[in-house]
Amino acid sequence: MTLLENPVTATRPRKSTALSDSGLGLGELVRPDRVHGSAYTSQEVFDAEMEEIYGRGWVYVAHESEIPAEGDYVTRRMGRQPVIVSRAEAGAIHVFANRCAHRGNRLCNAESGNSSNFKCPYHGWIFDNDGHLVAIPMKQALGDRHDAIRAELGLSSMPRVDSYGGFIFASLAEEGITLLEHLGRSTTAIDRLNDLSPTGRIELSGGWMKHAQACNWKMVMENNVDGYHALFVHQSVYEAVREAKVSHQPSKVDVIVRDMGQGHSEIDYTEEYTKLDEEFVWFGRTPRAKLPNYLAAMESAYGTDKTHSSLVVGPPHTLIFPNLFLAEMNIMVVEPIAPGETVAYTAPAMLPGMDEMNSRILRRCEGAMGPSGFLIADDGEIGARNQMGLAAKNPEWVVLNRGFEGELTNESGKLSYDKSSETPQRGFWKHWSSVLAGSANTSVASVKESVNE
Amino acid sequence: MSESTAVDPAHAAVLYREARFADEARYADWESLWDEKALYWVPMNEGADPEKTVSYIYDNRPRIAKRVGQLKTGHRHSQTPPSKMRRMLTNLELLDTTEAIEGGADRIVTIGANFVLYEFRYGMTIWAGRYIYKLALAADGSIKLRAKTVHLITGDAPISNLAFLI
Repeated sequence: MTLLENPVTATRPRKSTALSDSGLGLGELVRPDRVHGSAYTSQEVFDAEMEEIYGRGWVYVAHESEIPAEGDYVTRRMGRQPVIVSRAEAGAIHVFANRCAHRGNRLCNAESGNSSNFKCPYHGWIFDNDGHLVAIPMKQALGDRHDAIRAELGLSSMPRVDSYGGFIFASLAEEGITLLEHLGRSTTAIDRLNDLSPTGRIELSGGWMKHAQACNWKMVMENNVDGYHALFVHQSVYEAVREAKVSHQPSKVDVIVRDMGQGHSEIDYTEEYTKLDEEFVWFGRTPRAKLPNYLAAMESAYGTDKTHSSLVVGPPHTLIFPNLFLAEMNIMVVEPIAPGETVAYTAPAMLPGMDEMNSRILRRCEGAMGPSGFLIADDGEIGARNQMGLAAKNPEWVVLNRGFEGELTNESGKLSYDKSSETPQRGFWKHWSSVLAGSANTSVASVKESVNE
Repeated sequence: MSESTAVDPAHAAVLYREARFADEARYADWESLWDEKALYWVPMNEGADPEKTVSYIYDNRPRIAKRVGQLKTGHRHSQTPPSKMRRMLTNLELLDTTEAIEGGADRIVTIGANFVLYEFRYGMTIWAGRYIYKLALAADGSIKLRAKTVHLITGDAPISNLAFLI
């Protein structure tokens, strides 16, 4: 079947036209073991991503703990569009376009706050935090039409908002697959993180680092699940800062890399840590004696066996397509700005009420993450150089064929026991390609195909 | 009667030296300026509580050693080669003097200064803000850097790699 015969793409003929950077169609930039370099550099590709991935699919927008009380809000972006994520009086969570329904002025100009309403600074229009227009100054001039205008011009609300385990996602499309269908197997990673909290929820109360990176957003995301680069990009950490948690030599460890389907993918230390049967390997091997209140709260909530297994297995290292990365005890969110420009936001994943854990989580976040982190500053540098290298147009393709042979498939996805395999990246790109080709956000069938393949 | 806010030239000299060592990637020299109770802190905004919110840098003395150690490996890609830098310190003011006592010091002086830092790497980046220093003065006349807080005017906005010594 050619692209033009596809009922989905037929309504959007742009999909079948050749891109100027590559001469390829949008659905032709990814092959099973390689990606066209222009996927990182092309403005046309970027525009298509904003439309299909960030403009139709599910996108992570905020965490429930950031807006715990009625009236709380944060301002975010979905792709290029500014939004307000707010908790209304009755507790409902809304995601609104952050523009006044009157003339388009950016309505809310704070990063976060609490308010019963949003007042536009331009002409004084007031919206409540359910999005209703509640006051138009100098309404006399509208005469009889006032009530109708007031009823019509509420805030534009994102058609679909849903959450899982405290993580709030939204979609700009009226219809499409459900959040649970989108998340697929990646809910196991959110559960794994929440299992480390006695309340079953993390808390993003520690603020967000904001890291401007001179590379494509997908480079940031796929690097997060690249099990191959650590010994090279992070050599200086292991030489001067701390030892690796466990060896980065694939032959020495049972660390799995996994394509979970739907573009979600991960590096999974479960088997290796379980083999060691040691708690807190993932947390600087902090001794139990230093965390008595945390351990008591965990054992009270979950019992000793489940607490032990949660503390052995530790947090997830999982990419949730397209913009969320569960970075062990940190949360990273990427915001695409331009083909070669990305902001990576990082927050420590705090545990409600667990001060003895949280002070360590904060200091570990600073040690590893963000623009000064012992790890991520170097990822940012390598990402920028990668973007510079891709300005060379020959060879055209970026090869991702490591571990292509010998992958296993089970109910958890497609996986490899060689942590240097590029299995996670291949899974990410395969889904990316299917979304850009126009089907994966709108069809449940494609979800099943993606998981079962 | 207002007290003088003039900074002792010997104290200013320490700060200018610290700035030059950082600019010139003289890592061991820079590290040697710190005392054992050191705090090197780059918060995201003024007034932030470092026990509740994440900072860009919140280094005690052992972590300063790790930061410098990493830079010295030659494999800290984000500073290999080191950025070319020069910074200007201006508006130096003595903010506080404490006769004290802890950590072997006789006196702690707190000094504020504005700064502008030009960093050239792949392009020019301009960093600006305010430094708050604490110098530990010992009876034998030695001066050590006890604390340095860096309030970036861009602390609220996305910032590029800050892997050099700011």
